[in-house]
Amino acid sequence: MQTLALIGNPNCGKTTLFNLLTGTSAYVGNWPGVTVEKKEGMTNGHRILDLPGIYSLSPYSPEEKLSRRYILDEQPDLIIDVIDATNLERSLYLTNQLAELGRPLLLVLNMEDLLEKEGITIDAKRLSQMTGAPVVQISASKGTGIEALQAQIEKSLSEKKLPLCPLFSNFVERYISEIIGDDYLHQIPKGRQMRWAAIKLIEADELFLSSMPAPPPAFKTYIEKARKELEAHFEDDPEAIIIDQRYKVAEHIAKDCQIKKKTKKGFEFDSIATHRFAAIPLFLAIMAGVFYLSIGLVGGYTTPLLEELFAFLGEQVHLIADRFGVFPLLSGILADGIIAGVGAVLTFVPQLFVLFLLLSILEDCGYMARIAFIMDRMMRTLGLSGKSIIPLVIGTGCTVPAIMSSRTIEHQKQRELTVIVTPFIPCGAKMPVFALMLTYFFPGKWFIAPMIYLLGIVAVVVTGLLARALDRHKETNAFILELPRYQLPSPRNTWLQTRERTLGFIQKAGTIILLSSVIIYLLSSYSFTLQAVDAEQSMLAMLGKLIAPIFAPLGFGFWQASVALLTGIAAKESIVSTLSVTIGTANLGALFTSDSALSYMTFILLSSPCIAAISAMFKELGSKRKLLYAVLWQTGFAYLAALLVRLIVLLTL
Amino acid sequence: MHMTMDELTVGQTGAVKAINAPKQLKRRLMDMGFTKGVGVEVVKMAPMGDPMEVTVRGYHLCLRKAEASVIELR
Repeated sequence: MQTLALIGNPNCGKTTLFNLLTGTSAYVGNWPGVTVEKKEGMTNGHRILDLPGIYSLSPYSPEEKLSRRYILDEQPDLIIDVIDATNLERSLYLTNQLAELGRPLLLVLNMEDLLEKEGITIDAKRLSQMTGAPVVQISASKGTGIEALQAQIEKSLSEKKLPLCPLFSNFVERYISEIIGDDYLHQIPKGRQMRWAAIKLIEADELFLSSMPAPPPAFKTYIEKARKELEAHFEDDPEAIIIDQRYKVAEHIAKDCQIKKKTKKGFEFDSIATHRFAAIPLFLAIMAGVFYLSIGLVGGYTTPLLEELFAFLGEQVHLIADRFGVFPLLSGILADGIIAGVGAVLTFVPQLFVLFLLLSILEDCGYMARIAFIMDRMMRTLGLSGKSIIPLVIGTGCTVPAIMSSRTIEHQKQRELTVIVTPFIPCGAKMPVFALMLTYFFPGKWFIAPMIYLLGIVAVVVTGLLARALDRHKETNAFILELPRYQLPSPRNTWLQTRERTLGFIQKAGTIILLSSVIIYLLSSYSFTLQAVDAEQSMLAMLGKLIAPIFAPLGFGFWQASVALLTGIAAKESIVSTLSVTIGTANLGALFTSDSALSYMTFILLSSPCIAAISAMFKELGSKRKLLYAVLWQTGFAYLAALLVRLIVLLTL
Repeated sequence: MHMTMDELTVGQTGAVKAINAPKQLKRRLMDMGFTKGVGVEVVKMAPMGDPMEVTVRGYHLCLRKAEASVIELR
């Protein structure tokens, strides 16, 4: 089996192409750095890899190191370099580096459909001549040119032709050929290009040097001398000289292959989206609109309907069971376990579908990077980066991809802090609990729902300020972000993403929630001696009563609430299904009061996220100790905040 | 003293002369296209005056003033 590697600048459409070639639906968005890990798939019987987007093969950033190590160690049979055709020059800078790796190369000019609008024409034939690599023009978002690409992939795989290496100025080339002539270079691992190695020696590339045996003293002195002479000639350090040379080659090729016409600028959305005064109100209005449409409008209409439907189904099961004399345990499992538990979760499918749809459009259109731009200054005072806003927005849908998207934040401390605060933003799965509690205890008081989000934001702010105050080295760090072009979200992509996320939610309802509902029902119907008993004497009650006292100060020291919190660790939707199995959605008032309902919501909002999100946190934090601190902080903060909320409510109402 | 990119106001242009930054940041900026002689234009400032949006090599990029201040112009 042969291996293909997809590589290119961030946001050039690799993942969209990957999805087209493999028929899958990997996560796509329109900001640089959506793909943070390599993804694997199959196309036409070949293995294909989607590597994270990179601008260069420098030895510094984690994504660049990952892509570089992959190509060097795994030696893919073909490198497919995806080029944003509207950004040819900068893309060719990466192409120049890929050409030196000694693997066959195929250039894919993506976004062909946008060229005309941008007033650009590209001579693909000339580009192919100059780079020595075949060129295919496609539009991944429109799905055009894919057949030609597939044919060219087969052709390239059988031809195994290597591309041309970019040639630098004579002054540099002289040193390169002298270094290649030395015996030392014959020790480089097989398959690696001598020219590439020589350039790495000139650059004194740390990663390369550490992978090689120590050079003999005479050779080492020669390299030092070469580096000094280059420095003196170009008045810059050797690493910078090589970058400069590469960009010169890229400029030369771009100039020769593309004609750019000046296009008239029409109305630009950016004139409002990043406007000095309008930008932040607009962002808030957009987010409010997203929630109003999904939760308020759609949810307000569908939720009561579905609730009635599931209540009706449950009653029917009992009626039919009674008539046919079915063993009550069975009808109980079905009606009070499965239908009550799973139904409580499925009720929220329509509004989550709309939420996921709107978030997906937001992610696709290019607005996310603008939010990072306008919010950076504010986020910085919290010890976060403008890029931290992206996980926070995505976190309103699901915390897991949100935590993963924090990886593009350059600075480690800011990245870790972002990972810790992202779960404070309530995800879609927490929504059912809030909706259930709010409609029961505060009908018609619409203003409480936004307060929940506000409280999540307050938790982010408090954590940020605290972390900043505790941080002794107030180092500054880089925030460099490409602002992608706005684009209409492709219907295919939007649909695939929304469908995938919604199905994921339904799937959880059909698996984890179903199973836990049955278990909860059984545990709440039997005692430890396996006698059918009242819920109060059941196994579940006994277990719940062990932890319940901890929550007594918060006002929900009864076992049902504690058990629901425990099942919430598996999936937050379980909280609702557990409550509806153990208490019943219509009887919440028997145990909760309005103050304990509020403190319960606060605790759920802020305490540690579900197990999937915890493992995502572990992956990004990379240490058990940090994870423990994070979870303890979240849970401790949740406890104190819930206590405070309850006290305020008790004192003021 | 030479002019640096953070001193440009909206609409002003310049050409890169040198990058005075530690190795890693210098490499990052150069990888993004800020090489000697390349033209830059400031497009916009963020609502609170920082970061700034610039065009370089035909695309839009935002960076903080702190990073812009290491890019010396001529």
